Amino acid sequence: MKNDYLWDGSGEPDPELQRIEKSLGRFGHRGEMPDFPVTDFLQSKPSRFAFFTSGWTPRFAAATLLLLALTVSGLLLRLAPVELSNAQAWDVARLSGAPRVGNFSLASDSSKTQLRVGQLMVTDNSSRASLNVAAVGEIYVDPDSRVRLVESGSNRSRLALELGTIHAAIWAPPGEFVVDTPSASAVDLGCAYTLHVNDDGSGTLRTTLGWVGFHKDGHDSFIPAGAMCMTRPVQGPGTPYFEDASEQLRSALHAFDFESLSAADRQQALRMVLAQARRRDAFTLWHLLFRVNDEERPLLYDRLASLVPPPAGVTREGTLALNSPMMDAWWNAFDLGDISVWRFWEQKQAPPLLKKAAR
Amino acid sequence: MAISVEARFEPLEWPSVSAAAGKDSGDEPLVKAAQGGDRAAFGQLYQRYVRMVHGILLARVPSVAAEDLVHDVFLQALPKLRALRDVSRFGPWLAAIARNRATDFHRRAKPDCSLEDRAGTAEPAENPEGQVGIEDSIALLNAVRELPDVYREPLILRFVEGMTGPEIAARTGLTHGSVRVNLHRGMHLLREKWQRHAPHAKKGQGL
Repeated sequence: MKNDYLWDGSGEPDPELQRIEKSLGRFGHRGEMPDFPVTDFLQSKPSRFAFFTSGWTPRFAAATLLLLALTVSGLLLRLAPVELSNAQAWDVARLSGAPRVGNFSLASDSSKTQLRVGQLMVTDNSSRASLNVAAVGEIYVDPDSRVRLVESGSNRSRLALELGTIHAAIWAPPGEFVVDTPSASAVDLGCAYTLHVNDDGSGTLRTTLGWVGFHKDGHDSFIPAGAMCMTRPVQGPGTPYFEDASEQLRSALHAFDFESLSAADRQQALRMVLAQARRRDAFTLWHLLFRVNDEERPLLYDRLASLVPPPAGVTREGTLALNSPMMDAWWNAFDLGDISVWRFWEQKQAPPLLKKAAR
Repeated sequence: MAISVEARFEPLEWPSVSAAAGKDSGDEPLVKAAQGGDRAAFGQLYQRYVRMVHGILLARVPSVAAEDLVHDVFLQALPKLRALRDVSRFGPWLAAIARNRATDFHRRAKPDCSLEDRAGTAEPAENPEGQVGIEDSIALLNAVRELPDVYREPLILRFVEGMTGPEIAARTGLTHGSVRVNLHRGMHLLREKWQRHAPHAKKGQGL
């Protein structure tokens, strides 16, 4: 009976349930059993050596030892620079061709290696590879790409995509995985995207799941699933837009973001964007609020307000002044991702660089 | 008038615990030994219950956090074990610690990974071979997580941890009837949610 398979796996296998089992089974428990401390077993027994096992004396001693150890290790690290860090390496698997990690070439199906901090992985025009860290996610590297592991820690991982294309599926908490490109950095806010870098350092980011922050020098774009954003070495990330936006809107945005336009042409481009924007494109107009001048901003406000009315507490005056809490509240009204995640990342990861949002 | 999918069912809540559950689980000797300080016995209980604990956590916190919190739960349980009077209730007792630990995680933690909301609206993946499965898996996990607690927990234990219905009942202390009903209702809700949130899915293809 079909239902028995859901209950106890017996009966005729249900293909749908088998697909779910296969799909979700990858999230199952994988960890090792920890070494449970003996002290926890003994906790409820009164100790004859209570003076040494409780109170401030041992805590003070432990803190002193810890401080000493940190100081010594810090000194040692400063005195002995290392070429390759001992930080967590990423597993590299060959998918096709002969991808190279440092001087090592993965030339057979069984070849696997690791990418360590500082190392470069290169794929030629017939090679593809995957990078994997269990706690972070998986990265698929397309042909003709160059990827360097910049940082790999327990709460922070950073790659540099110098050229080519990667596809990232990330399950680390938001803000912990960053990919630098020559013209912007992509900050994962959960959970899947494709990033491409051209020879001239320009690039494109397409989000397929969750949303991604794209930033350079305090110039930020948020790209939700189904949207994309271009970036240029000088200007940084452009204005993001949904890929199903009209061709006119996309062309006008491209001109507005990256071309040297006369005042009249700029005005025309902006009016085209406003005219073509659908309700779904409200998030594009939200970004533009930060990118237009004071004379242009009221036009943006009126059109945005007609598409997605400002939530309670968000005023015209506040918006025109780019009041940060109001702008955040309006973003959240789009239901594309909670912007507090980004604010948290800004504060925690890069406070000096990113005080200003979406500017 | 539109009625939400969730509103159509009255879920069977957690308190519907079987008085008999756990009596025949074979845990009592291990729990008593662990209470007496037998580390090996506690290790066996860990092996027996680690999937349940992980599943309960995964139903509530990001997957990477769930792995870390598994250890926390057992480390929290260890010193309290002596206080457990009814040793036959070890499973439900441990499950409660796991649920509380997940609640505590959200109280203390930074904003967590938004595995929950955007997956259902994801477009069909157009990425390279292999990645498709990952995205679909994440989206499916998110869909399960959006279900009410009583449904998502048994579904995750069943599909993620590979436990059978009888095992889920034995470990969590719920009756067979509760687990069976919640599994079936949960599956029904999941199918509906998946169809609503994944309009790209071909008709009849299901999950």
